[in-house]
Amino acid sequence: MFDDLKTIMSKIDADYADIRYEIKKEIRIVFNGKELTAVTSNSTDGYVLRVLKNGGLSSVAFTKKKDADNAVQSAIRNALLISKNIKEPVRFAEAEVVKDTFKPELNEDPRDISIEEKIDLTRKYNDIPLKHEKIVTTNLAYSELVRERYFFNTEGTEIREDLVTNGIRGSISSSDGNIFQSVGIGFGGSNGFYTVRNQEEKLERETSIVLDLLNAKPVEGGIYNVILNSELAGVFTHEAFGHFSEADLIEDNPTMRDKMKIGAKLGSDILNIIDDATMPDQLGFYKYDDEGVRVRPTQLMKNGVLVGRLHSRRTAEAFDESVSGHCIAEDYRYAPIIRMGNIFIEPGKKTFDQLISELGEGLYLLGLNGGETSGQSFTFGAKYGYLIKNRKLGAMIRDINISGDLYRTLENISAVGNDLELFKFGGACGKGQANIRSCHGAPHILIKNVVVGGK
Amino acid sequence: MEEMLKVAIDKSDKAELYYLEEKTDSITFENSRLKDIDSKIQSGISCRIQKDGQMGFAYTKNLYDGAELMKNALDSLSGGVQASFDFPFTRKLTELKSYDSSIEDISTDDIVEEGTRIRDIFSHQTKGQINLYAGINKSGLRIVNSYGTDLKAKFSTYSVNLEILYPASHSFIERTLTSKEFKEADDAYLNYILDMYNQSLKEVKVKKGRMKVLFLPEVMYVLMWRLLRAANSKSIYNKESPISEKIGEKIFDSKLTIYDDPLNDKMPLARSFDDEGIPCQYLSMIEDGVLKNFYYDLYYAEKMGARSTGHGFKKISVWGGGETVSMRPVPALEHLYVKTGDKSFNEILSLMDRGVIIAGALGAHSGNIPNGDFSIGVAPGIYVENGDIVGHIKDAMISGNIYDTMKNVIAIEDTYYPAFMGSFPAILFDDVSVTI
Repeated sequence: MFDDLKTIMSKIDADYADIRYEIKKEIRIVFNGKELTAVTSNSTDGYVLRVLKNGGLSSVAFTKKKDADNAVQSAIRNALLISKNIKEPVRFAEAEVVKDTFKPELNEDPRDISIEEKIDLTRKYNDIPLKHEKIVTTNLAYSELVRERYFFNTEGTEIREDLVTNGIRGSISSSDGNIFQSVGIGFGGSNGFYTVRNQEEKLERETSIVLDLLNAKPVEGGIYNVILNSELAGVFTHEAFGHFSEADLIEDNPTMRDKMKIGAKLGSDILNIIDDATMPDQLGFYKYDDEGVRVRPTQLMKNGVLVGRLHSRRTAEAFDESVSGHCIAEDYRYAPIIRMGNIFIEPGKKTFDQLISELGEGLYLLGLNGGETSGQSFTFGAKYGYLIKNRKLGAMIRDINISGDLYRTLENISAVGNDLELFKFGGACGKGQANIRSCHGAPHILIKNVVVGGK
Repeated sequence: MEEMLKVAIDKSDKAELYYLEEKTDSITFENSRLKDIDSKIQSGISCRIQKDGQMGFAYTKNLYDGAELMKNALDSLSGGVQASFDFPFTRKLTELKSYDSSIEDISTDDIVEEGTRIRDIFSHQTKGQINLYAGINKSGLRIVNSYGTDLKAKFSTYSVNLEILYPASHSFIERTLTSKEFKEADDAYLNYILDMYNQSLKEVKVKKGRMKVLFLPEVMYVLMWRLLRAANSKSIYNKESPISEKIGEKIFDSKLTIYDDPLNDKMPLARSFDDEGIPCQYLSMIEDGVLKNFYYDLYYAEKMGARSTGHGFKKISVWGGGETVSMRPVPALEHLYVKTGDKSFNEILSLMDRGVIIAGALGAHSGNIPNGDFSIGVAPGIYVENGDIVGHIKDAMISGNIYDTMKNVIAIEDTYYPAFMGSFPAILFDDVSVTI
């Protein structure tokens, strides 16, 4: 394959070029309620070419080898068109030239498990909620995605790496005839099929939550002190803070760039945030990004001070900072963009009981129900929560969305728990492309003065 | 494709092939600077087969030959997915003009030139950060099946999306233009964005409460998402729709009429047949506030003893990800409209003694969508007092339930604009909860 890629690249006269060829193998098994509605197994492939010429960078994604000449010409023409229209040429930060083949170690390779076993396992999990009368339907899907990547650039880097992800995700819906409730569920990982085994208890737990939600009270809108569980705190870290650590999101936004200066004190003293995709056994694990740069642990915040950010080669040069290996594409249809690998709040010292005591009165919010951010504003939904009064957990609440300003919220994090948990599988981060391996996490955290939307 | 169909028919009872090829060129300006030019040259084929009451599906881009695609489809067949509906024999269709050949003469140079022209006009009239996306898409679609159907269509789309960002944020005023041919952005379009932005530039603080809320076309998807979910035959079948028994009942304000019109070829991507080869048709969903119809694809029509309404589409997920050819058809309204009302935008503003214009929404996918609940961050909200725009607000949330909110329509704008999930006018609702 590398010979084919080198032939295509030999036709390019440019300052820099790279090409990525990928074979993508996908398996999907879907249950809707009792019914099996899809079983598919597919293989497909494609190329992404990037050309940097005279300071203009352009990309072309193409499907067929016969389109390669056409793609090369388009990429060069568009790179020159950019170059004519910009004042500051694009340059790439230096990166090590690498020749490597990396296949991750898996605890049970999902490719060795039969489709029948995958269907049986998904059906077994799907049956757990359906035995309850008030569960109206489920949507449970097993998915398996293998990206076999071949990367080559004009500097001589030549990398062959596999990314293998599998998991089960979906939702469970309940109704008592008047209202509907639903909770999302997800588990899996990027280190083998064992991540989807032995999850019966999780299904039982989520089922009882969605049944209890039928009797929970909608939260009253207002401003509250809250404790977020690790899933919600992880989403906050990813959505509200993490995206602004992605240099491409702030590169051309002068006011945000000014706020996100290295050395700026943005959070409370107890806040430490890192992105570490090199940690084994977590969803976001990889060795090289889609620019052929080896990913490195990147400390983003230390004691509330911004100390680093996530880069592509282009932004590392523009910010005069180090490359970090965070430029990732969804698949063979996209040029890579900057992505978090595994971002989390590092654990503090407090136990959960200490956090509850410290809170006194407020809300304990758990589980993710969608999150989104725009600049420093963020909104995300909690699956459910509990009122806390007199340092005790009270009634269950529902219909909870929280919203706020990133910087004020970072300052308002007043305590960090000692119980770090990382996200397993189920969501995908959208940024024009989907990233199903986006991993995040946190311990329990206490935040003061959070806006909670109610009815 | 004929060869491949023969192989498929040979190995199954019923077969269908779907072929899509497309070329996209897109440009991006960020903070007034030309940032990216990207192209995509893509094609792919998918196959559905049925044998002994079971359904198989496979797709590929180009890796394997037809035999390999068929092997994957046959493997999928053995999974045990039940379906026995017939693929249609479709011949006579409404002729639509969905392709304008003048688009073939447009190069990325032309799009960059237009982007630069807009950038220059704006940079003289506002200090806000300008981001612009523009692109051209040309695509060709063909569907053949074992019943003799052989349908082809070509599409051309040019679109521009322009944003001006408020200082120190990613909140912005935006609007999209879309057409079958390349068109310069007109003054009305440019002035709307400029005026809205310049008048609301000041950040203001307001008190929480229930008030009038104007949903701009750009955020109507928040409400439509919940309605589309509830009226989808899949939700009805799965018993998770609050309106499953309400056909013929008045569920919204009588000012609201909501419909799907795939045949409107003034807009790009008009369709005379859906992704299963069923003829497309106008579908009334809400007429004067009364629920009229649910929408079906072949799969759910069979399950429910109904007929497909011609709404089986290979829909990619809301936030991107996935690829058309890789999807199986699902019930989807891809040409959704809210009927326009009788008030100009300024007339609607004058009806707002105190209220918020929602120009951007955060977290539309959060909350209890089947129930019709919404609870969104405003990004931004624009505060209006006595008919005048006062400024923009941050960190506010609005929440409610569509079956309450959409009963309280005060006025509907007299023009619709292309936006996410459909073409919508702005709609002013009464008595919506705003938390700040």
